[in-house]
Amino acid sequence: MSEHTLFEKYGGFAKISKVVISFYDRLLDSDSVGPFFDEIDMAKMVDHQTKFIASLLGGPAAYTDDQLRQVHARLDINNAHFDELKSVLSATLAEHGFAPDDSDTVLEKFERRRGLIVG
Amino acid sequence: MSIEAINEQLLRAIGVGVALLDRETLRFQFSNDTFEEWFGKPEPQQVLSQLFPELDAKALSAALSDSGRFTAETSFKKKRRTMVIAVDFTAAGEGEERIAVLVCQNITRIRELEAMIESYSMMVERNTREIKREKEQVEKLLLNIMPRSVYEEYKTFGVVTPQMYDPVTVLMLDFAGFSEIVGSAEPGVTVSELNDIYSAFDRIGEQFGCERIKTIGDAYVTVAGLPDASPEHAISVANTAVRFIRFLERRNASHPIKWRCRIGIATGSVVGSVVGVQKYVYDVFGPAMNLARRLQEFCEPMQIMIQDRAADLLRDKFDLQSIGNREIHGFGTQPVWRLFEHTSGPARM
Repeated sequence: MSEHTLFEKYGGFAKISKVVISFYDRLLDSDSVGPFFDEIDMAKMVDHQTKFIASLLGGPAAYTDDQLRQVHARLDINNAHFDELKSVLSATLAEHGFAPDDSDTVLEKFERRRGLIVG
Repeated sequence: MSIEAINEQLLRAIGVGVALLDRETLRFQFSNDTFEEWFGKPEPQQVLSQLFPELDAKALSAALSDSGRFTAETSFKKKRRTMVIAVDFTAAGEGEERIAVLVCQNITRIRELEAMIESYSMMVERNTREIKREKEQVEKLLLNIMPRSVYEEYKTFGVVTPQMYDPVTVLMLDFAGFSEIVGSAEPGVTVSELNDIYSAFDRIGEQFGCERIKTIGDAYVTVAGLPDASPEHAISVANTAVRFIRFLERRNASHPIKWRCRIGIATGSVVGSVVGVQKYVYDVFGPAMNLARRLQEFCEPMQIMIQDRAADLLRDKFDLQSIGNREIHGFGTQPVWRLFEHTSGPARM
């Protein structure tokens, strides 16, 4: 049988939805990465963050490498932006009681995609 | 502090935007702190449409005089967050003092959560569709190796109770000179030829109500009368057998490799069950299987051999030729018959 995903371990969508919302809040408040979302429609952005968190935690979404590359291709994202997003993610996970080990697992998974997102 | 002062403090401080407007002119008369934080402080004598250009003032006035209420939604950007505000107008006051009370509620979070639920449910629905497709694929594979009723039992209980089927008729077929064909033809050619022939056999058998049990190399086994009993089991198998021969004759006429089969048919009992735990397979075994195998061994190429019990059931519908008594290993001495298609045409079920 497949192992439990972090998505399941931390309570499924009922709990993870709170992670998504606070991640969304933190992103909008960030003056480093927030401006990327200035012109993005709210529903689209929430959809994006829902899928982002779900795919990192092993929920019912998975971005392929090609999709990630395509979505971020036209954005001028540098390593500093990526690092900021990573620290926003880390703070969000900590706020929602993720164990350091689990948080590291998620951040490593995110880090592996750096090459697809930073252009 | 007077009650009026307290009321005004409360009205100013609550997290709901409140404003009062003259109902005729729609000019602002009062606004609280929350309202001003969201929409700015209305200038003296400023009218509603200057602050909310997207609101339909005519519809608002009409609704206020009709039902005394009007609701709408408005949105604006606060920093980069899209704020969504529900605005609700209620007619109030009498005589000279006819006013409209405007109450504004922040429903941004509700809209964000709605967007999240929509996003999540679409992901889940897509996953559900994928899982359903995969399940159908698995079901299709399992139905290739076991009859549907057996599969249903396996799905419900996780096990299949071995079952005795009696009477059934078993057809066992192999090819004369198979080793020579395998030795001389390309492996790919042999496999694709067998695939072609077995697929045709499957179609023919299905047409007559036979359940293909398995193929092992050049051995092909099909049975009628299981999992559902059928009074026509022997006729089904005999009809299938004569068409197997006819199919091969036609095929051989236009193909370089000449496939010549030997068919044994026996009526009797078999046990059917799923065998194995990890690599399970549905199999049948028992007297009718063994007898069919022995009869097939007596067979000349492109002949069909049957035993007495099957012969009794088929005598009226097919031509039979006795080849006398034969000593059948494990079954003693038994009369054995060769079966032909009826000269007057195919047997009717």
